[in-house]
Formats: sequence, structure tokens, C-alpha cells
Amino acid sequence: MQGAILSGEDLSKIFSTLVLIVVAVGASAVLWIGVNLLFNQVRTSWTRFNALAGYAVGFLLLLLLQGNRLLKPHGPDADSITRLGELLWTPLLGALVFSALAVILANNDDRAQRLWIASGSGLLLGGFIGIRLAEDARPELEVLPLLLSTVAIAGISAGIALLRRRAPAPAALIGGALGWLIGGFGVPELGSGSAVESAIAAVVPGLAIGARIGLGKNADMVGRARIDAKSRGAIFLVPALFFVTVSLIAPTLITIWLSLKDEDSVDLVWFENYGSVFTDINSFDVGDWTNIFTSLLFVLGVLVGLGGLAIGLVLRKRTGDGFSAGGPAFAPLMIAMVMIVFGVLSVLRGTIMNNLWWVFTVTVFSTGLGLAIAVLADRAKLESVAKSIIFMPMAISLVGASIIWRLVYVARDTSKSQTGLMNAVWVELGRWSTGSGIPTVLGTVLVWVLVALGVASISRSLTSRTYDKIPLRALATIVLLWIAYRFTFDGIGGFRTNSAGETVPDTIFFVQDQPFNNVWLMVILIWIQTGFAMVIMSAAIKAVPTELIEAAKVDGATESQVFWRVTLPQIRTTIGVVVTTLIVLVMKVYDIVKVVTNGNFGSQVLANDMFEEAFLFSNTGVGAALAVILFASVLPVMVLNIRRMQREA
Amino acid sequence: MKSRLLKLLALLFAFTLIAAACGDDDDDTTTGNDTTDDMDDGDMDDMDDMDDDGHDDDMDDDGHDHDDDMDDMDDMDDMATSLTVTGPERDESEAGAIQEVLGAWGDEHGIEVTYLGSADWEAEINVQVEGGNPPDISIFPQPGKLADFARDGHVVPLNDEAAAATAANWSEAWTVFGNVDGVQYGVPVKADLKSLVWYQPARFAANGYEVPETYDEFAALVDQIAADGNRPLCVGIESGQATGWPFTDWVEDMVLRQHGPDVYDQWVAHDIPFNDERIVSTMQTVLDLWTEDNVFASSGSIAATAFQDNGQPLVDGDCFMHRQASFFSAFMPEGTSFGDGEGEVNVFYFPDINGDRPVLGAGTLAAAFNDNDATMALLAYLSTPDYAEARQISQATRKGGGATLSGFLSAAQGQDPSVYQPLEQSFLDVLATAAIVRFDGSDLMPADVGAGTFWTEGTSAVNGDITAQEAADRIEASWPQ
Repeated sequence: MQGAILSGEDLSKIFSTLVLIVVAVGASAVLWIGVNLLFNQVRTSWTRFNALAGYAVGFLLLLLLQGNRLLKPHGPDADSITRLGELLWTPLLGALVFSALAVILANNDDRAQRLWIASGSGLLLGGFIGIRLAEDARPELEVLPLLLSTVAIAGISAGIALLRRRAPAPAALIGGALGWLIGGFGVPELGSGSAVESAIAAVVPGLAIGARIGLGKNADMVGRARIDAKSRGAIFLVPALFFVTVSLIAPTLITIWLSLKDEDSVDLVWFENYGSVFTDINSFDVGDWTNIFTSLLFVLGVLVGLGGLAIGLVLRKRTGDGFSAGGPAFAPLMIAMVMIVFGVLSVLRGTIMNNLWWVFTVTVFSTGLGLAIAVLADRAKLESVAKSIIFMPMAISLVGASIIWRLVYVARDTSKSQTGLMNAVWVELGRWSTGSGIPTVLGTVLVWVLVALGVASISRSLTSRTYDKIPLRALATIVLLWIAYRFTFDGIGGFRTNSAGETVPDTIFFVQDQPFNNVWLMVILIWIQTGFAMVIMSAAIKAVPTELIEAAKVDGATESQVFWRVTLPQIRTTIGVVVTTLIVLVMKVYDIVKVVTNGNFGSQVLANDMFEEAFLFSNTGVGAALAVILFASVLPVMVLNIRRMQREA
Repeated sequence: MKSRLLKLLALLFAFTLIAAACGDDDDDTTTGNDTTDDMDDGDMDDMDDMDDDGHDDDMDDDGHDHDDDMDDMDDMDDMATSLTVTGPERDESEAGAIQEVLGAWGDEHGIEVTYLGSADWEAEINVQVEGGNPPDISIFPQPGKLADFARDGHVVPLNDEAAAATAANWSEAWTVFGNVDGVQYGVPVKADLKSLVWYQPARFAANGYEVPETYDEFAALVDQIAADGNRPLCVGIESGQATGWPFTDWVEDMVLRQHGPDVYDQWVAHDIPFNDERIVSTMQTVLDLWTEDNVFASSGSIAATAFQDNGQPLVDGDCFMHRQASFFSAFMPEGTSFGDGEGEVNVFYFPDINGDRPVLGAGTLAAAFNDNDATMALLAYLSTPDYAEARQISQATRKGGGATLSGFLSAAQGQDPSVYQPLEQSFLDVLATAAIVRFDGSDLMPADVGAGTFWTEGTSAVNGDITAQEAADRIEASWPQ
């Protein structure tokens, strides 16, 4: 930690690491090239290929067994030279035996003989290895699990083979061998069995694998060509599969396993952890669901939605097209959806509901704003500058952005001047609307001018007969009217009347006031992700063939018609990709909540909860259960996304 | 084609580099730990070396073997040559002072001691322990956590010398916090005095207020200041991950005052439920005290105000009193001087109700993850007044020297009081004369509660989202079975 000068120890460590890297890279490369060379022999000299492959398999198998001390050593007193010799000659011997067997099989086309040779030697080799197994590796066989796992895995293998329209018997043999091995060595404690038991445990798989090899007929030229072709895929795939298994599949399975165990990962508690997640009032609190119907947002949302529905129904009767995207009913219905979801999710509380709220809000607003900006900026002046500015937040880390926004949201004691941007504006607005100076007069004039503009835009729509624009403009004008009324008569903004009847400033606690503090946190992610959505969507819009747009314009389509009817259908798949990507990203939201509220004030989300349970409270079980819930809820979207990408490719 | 191959190779190279770097990591911090292992199965390891040389496809194993070889050479005797100490204190002044003092001890004994302070100590120590890669010594701010680790067998008991040194240097009121089921695991290294109220004597005098002697006087003073149109208290409980802890301190101090040390002990040990009506009523007392008229919260609301931000308003005169621990001197604005003069800040004892003068304390305890001789020798040193004095001097110098307070306090017996400033000496007097000392209860409770729901549900109650009863019910429900 201290001092930048490298000591001799450090240097030697660096050197040994470098040597290690060179050796590791070299060995991996040699291994990989060697396997390729080996399979080059398949077409040209089948016998040599079999000899080499048998040699390699035998060598590796026995090296694994001997190297892990699973085979009986010379005894505890043997010196290291003897042991080193043992480590060399056992694999060599095995390699020669396997090699010889492979050569015999490669040159024998008689099916009966092949079966006898292969299964016989499988039996012998299995028995030999079983008897030679070290004492601490001998299993004490338990009949039921052994048979169960053998039958189950053999059955599954045969079933899969049948589904793939292959012969079930060979697959069943391999599956049976695997099942027997797992049932024999996987279930009971090792080290307590006898030599006979370990022989039984090893003989059966040996026999089964031998029989499987014997059942297959010696590959003819066509078969060899197929082996050659298929092996290339496998050779390229295996390293990747290995790393995916080690770094992804194994941790996933282990996490699922841990989620079924108690907090110390000792006893199996099955689904108790999941149960505790859903019974914990902090993660799932829907007790107040009746309050939904009294929530202002919900009621207003339903009203707006009904209005939109009515417009749509009337239009469908008249023109046959009531609910198309961009039509008059579209905007009210969208706004109603957002309001209703906000109304519902501000009443149903808890970590899980918060995550749903995050996913809905950030996805809808990032996609919507991104699309809007991409469309509006398209072919506009200074397009690249505008887009760069919108895109810039993407370059800020989530933690950095959270700190910035926390400062924006900061409230200070009302006797002090506000330093947070939002509260400064809010409190100043309160001063204007309740004061009597020039700003108040100007403000009053301004809000009423805005209302007048709104009314003017509606009347223009009426005179120019563009009725489809009226609903949105009317909604906006109503909101403006309400603001203007409040500004003029009650006042609007950060103020309140204290007990003495004086008007004093009042701040909003953006981060502390439940439940809408969640929305203010979401704004941070929307701010960041809109740039992402915009860039992707902008590229898609630019990829729409200009012929289509020109053709539509020649046919008399307006700009908005071109967008809704031509551009939008063309970029639909891109929107899908953006939406699914955002859902997956938002589901995992962690940094923002961690930095701004740390899950306090009802803003907890799954990822932060998982971290706290697993790493602060050492409840590994509950933490793992939360991780699995998170994983399971992201999975369908991931699958959808990947399938869509595959379809497009 | 060629450049692609090169890129591929470069990628492979980079990947191996990372893998190798990760694989090599674990002998840095656990030298002391490895020693015993190596002694036990040294022969076996040698065998492994031989074995591994035989096959060349398992590179990671080889990497480890090199390390083991080095350890074998380093640790020929049972004395580790390097020790790693971790802890939650990571301010330059605190961590720097610890490193300086421990480093000096290490130089004397030919041992390289490294102190690593981390703001995320709680999460990290769990990960390190579960990963089988703990430091040699860690400094625990929570005896509850230490007890958890002791019962799980992660930390080791003190050896005889270290235990004797601890018993000789600290009174039983303090050593008991490092005692788990009758076995001494922890060495107290730092003491904090929590039952203090910070105030400006000159402003009290100017307004005709007097330092309250009883809690009733304190409550009356609060009402009087509020009636005079001023804000009596500064309160803020925001503290990042630990938001809510100042509230728990208030509640603990009040439980101690209202219901006495016996109920306090039962409450902390969960012999009475958390939502016992006495505890709920105490929580309500605190919440009732924290009204809008009584409290100045510089960020508008108590839950939003960082606990560190209460020093400035106290000095500026936005509030008159701030109940906070002795270490709060570190959070007073720069240049604040301590005393009874104009603009100076002083403390008074948070008054009691029953005249039994209970004191809420806190502190840190060092405990070891292995019983290497060097580890135990360092623990024994940590318990001594020599360590406390050296750290106090170093930390005070780092804070600026002169009359500045270091923020450090130790209750080790036999310290030279002259290393402390007058105010700090008065803390020591309070500690020395207190009949009843109780450790910060949230630090004694299981982490799920003490570093979890007590903080979060308490914050919700302070924020007005739930009532004291609801908060207590939820905390009780979260208590691990």
C-alpha cells in the first residue's frame, strides 16, 4: 500500500508471474494446435488418429486420477521419486492400453467382435481402476440413489435422443454410465467403502461406455468426414464453453442452491427464504391496496383514459381508425397509462414494487424521450451538437450522476438560502407567486399569456380542421390554466403559511418524501439512458429508406403522418431492442439508490437489498434468494432480446 | 488475417495476465495465517510441487506453489514477518496515526505492520472471512459483530500474555465488551463518550440559560429556548450506509436514563422484545422532542441532514445544543476553539433522570484471526497506555496540533493525561467517575438489527413515515431467531 518503489520480492513476484503467463499461453496454444493436428488425421489416416486419440484419452484419464491421488499410491512411506515415477508410468501405461484398444477397434468392422472387444475391455478397465482406487476415494454404495440416478439420467438421455430422432440405446448407455458414476460417487461420503464397492461403482460405467463404443460401427469415409467437420466446431467451442461454465453457469447454480439454504448455508430450508422475501413488509407491502381508488393520480388517470377511449371509439365509428399510434386518442391513452401505473405503484409499496416502478418509468420515459429527440433533431440545424449534449450523461458513471443529482435535490433549512437547484427554483417560484413586486406581476402576465397561447392553438386547430391535435392541446391548456389560476390566486411553489399566519418558504424533500422520491431517483437514470435510446433510434431513423418517405410525401402525407405511418413501423424492431435492453438494465439498478438514499425512505430496490442481506447482515440465503428473483425476472426479457437479435441476424 | 491472430493472442495474453494476477493475490494479507498451515502440511505441499511438475496444463496450481515456496522461506520460525490490520477508521488523521504508531512498533520488532482502513469495512470483513482470507487483526467498531465472529470460530481468543495485558490496562467495564461467553477475544483500543451535549457557554450566558443538571431541567430549557424563538437542538441523522445511527444513540441514552441499566441490558440482549412498551415510549419521547420548532436541521429535515453538518450551525448560533459523542470535536468547523470564552464550544453531561449518572460509551476492539506470536504481541501492545498516548499525540499532530482536539480518546489506565487537551481530559474524568457505563446498544445487537433495521426503521420513524410503535414492531420482527 505504501511507497511506490518495488522491492526485490515484488520484482521476483512480477517475474514469476510473467514466466507463468508465457508458459500458460504457450501451453494453451500448444494444446489447442495439437488437438487440431490430431483431428487433421481423421481423413488421411484413421488408424493413426485412433492410436493418438486413444493415447491422449488414456493418458489424461489416468493422469487426472493419479494426479488427484484417487488411485492407490505405493503407500504412505514412498519417497517422492517413487511417487513421481508413479505419476509418470500410470498414465503412460493407460495411454498405451487405450491406444492399442482404439487401434484394434479402428481396424475391425465385424459388429459382434467390436461389441465383445469394447465392452469386455471396458469391464476390465473399469474393474481395474475401481480396485486400484485409493481408500479415501472409495464410495459406500447406497442402492436407492444409485439406481435412481442411473435410471433417471439414462431415461433423460434416451428421451433427448428420441426427440432428436436418434437411436435411444447408445444415449441411454452413456446416460446410464454418467448416472451410475454420479449415484455411486456423488451421493454418499467418500472414503468409507470397500474395494468391492468401488469396483462395482467403476465396472458398470466402464462396461456401459465400452458397449456404447462397441455398438457404433467403425466409421467409413463419410463418417470420418463428418467427425472431421464436427470436431472443428467442438474444438473452437470448448474453451469458450469452459469459461462460460466456470464463470456463469456454475455460479448461477450455486446461487440457486444457496438460496434454498439457511443464512449460514448449512441447513436446507427449501423455499423459506423466498417466503420471507414476500412476507417482509419492506419488500412487499400491498396491504393498502384500497387506497389506489382514492389516489388522485389514479382517478385523474382513469378520467383521462376514459376521455381518450371515448375519442377513439367515436373516431372508429366515423373513420374506422380510432386507436392508431399518433391518432387523437393516442396521447390521452398514453398519459392515462402513466398516471394509472404511477397511481397504483405509489400505493403498493415495497422493494419488488419499487423495481417494477423503476422498470416501467425509466423504460417508458427513456425510450419515449429518446425517440422524440431523435425525431425532432433529425436533419435539424446543429443536430450533432444537440445529440452530443443529450448523449453526454452516458459518459458519467452512475455514482457520479447520483452525486450530481443529490446536490440538485438538496434542501436546506428554510431560514437559509437554498443551494439545491430544484428547491431554489421551487422556493423562488413560491416567492414570486405570493409576493407583490415586479416579478409577481411579470409572472402573472406570463402564465396568462401561456394560457392564451394554449387557447389560441386550440382555436387554430378548430379553424384549420386539424381536430386530431385538439385532445393533447386541450390537456396542456387545462394544466396551464390550473397553474395560472394557482399562481394568481393561491400562489404556487415552495411556501406555506405558518402558525402565525405568515407566508414562509417551504422546501420539497425530493429524496425523503415517500413515495415520489422514487420518481426523482428514476429521473437520474432517465437522464443518463435517454442518450442511449436516442443514439440507437436516431441511427435506425436514418436507415429508413428515403424513397419510402418521399413516396409518402408525394402522396400528400404530412410530417407527422410520415412519422407515425412510415418511420415508426420501420424502426419498430429497434424500439424493441432498446426497450428490452433498458428493462434488463433497470431491473438491476443499484448504484443510484445506494448513493442517494441507500434504500432508506421506501426507495429500496432488489439489487441493494441483495447486497445488504448477503454482505452486511450475512444472510446468505435471503441474499441468494433475492439474486435468484432478480435473475428470474430478467431472464424472460433476455431470452426475448436474444431471440429477436437472432431473428434479425 | 495476421493482425486478427495478433489481436487474438493479445486478448489471450491479457486474459491470462488477469487470471494470474487474481490467482496470486492471497498471500499478501495472510502471511501470519499461512504460517501455521505451512507448518502442518509442509510435506504434503512439497509432494504437490512434485506432482504438478509432471503435467503442464494446470498452470494455476503452479502459480500457487511458487507462492507457497516463498512463504516457506519467509516463515522459517513461528513469528510472522508482516501483519495486516484492518479497520473502519480511514480518515487521513486516524488511519495515518494508526499506521505511524503500529509501524513504529513493527520497526522495533522487525515486523512489517500495515494498517488498511476502509469505509466499507463491514462488508469487506464478511467477504474476507467467508473467502478464508481474513487480515491478521481487525478493529471492530461493534462488539456484536466480534461476538458473532467469535462464536463462529473466525476470531481466536487472546493468548495468556495478551489477555493479561488487556486486564491490566483496561477496567472491567471496558474489557467485558471483548469478552464472549467468558473468553476474552477483544482488546479495547479506543473509547468514545456518547452522553455529551455540545454547546456554546458564551451564548448560554448571553441568553441567561444555565447548564441543566437534571433531565427535567434539560427539557424545560428546550421549551424555553423554543419559546424565545430560537431553535434549541441541532439534529441530523444522515450518514450514508449508516443513516439513522444518531437516532439509535439518542434512544439508547434515553432508555438508560428512563428505565435504568438493567432494562437496557435486557433490551440489548433481547430478553425483552424490542417493541416492549417501555422502549416504544422512549422512542416516542425522542421523536416528541424532535419537533419542527425544537430542531434546526441544516438540510431541512432531520433525516436528510448529515450528522457531520451539525457543527457549523452550532457555531453559527442556529441552534443552542447538540447531543453527540466525544469524537464530534473532529466535525466542528476548522478553527473552532474549545472552552468557555466567546465563540468557544464546550460540552456538558447529558443529564440523567434518576441521579445514577449513566454513561453511554462506544469504542473499538481489536481481535485476531490467528494466534501467531507476532499477532498476539501486537494485540498486547494495542491494549497499553503507551499505544493510546502515541496515537493521541500522532493524531493530534495530524489534526493540526496546538489546541485542536484529535477526536481520539482512550480509557486505558495509566495514561499520561497531559497528552490530552483540557476538554478531552474532562471526557476522561466523566469516564473515570461514571458508575454505570453501557456500550452503544446498536453495536451489541445482531447486525440485522443494530446495523440494519434499527437504523432504517428508526430513520423512517424520524421521517414521519411510520409511528414509533410500527418501527419497533418491524425491528422486533427482523430480530434473527
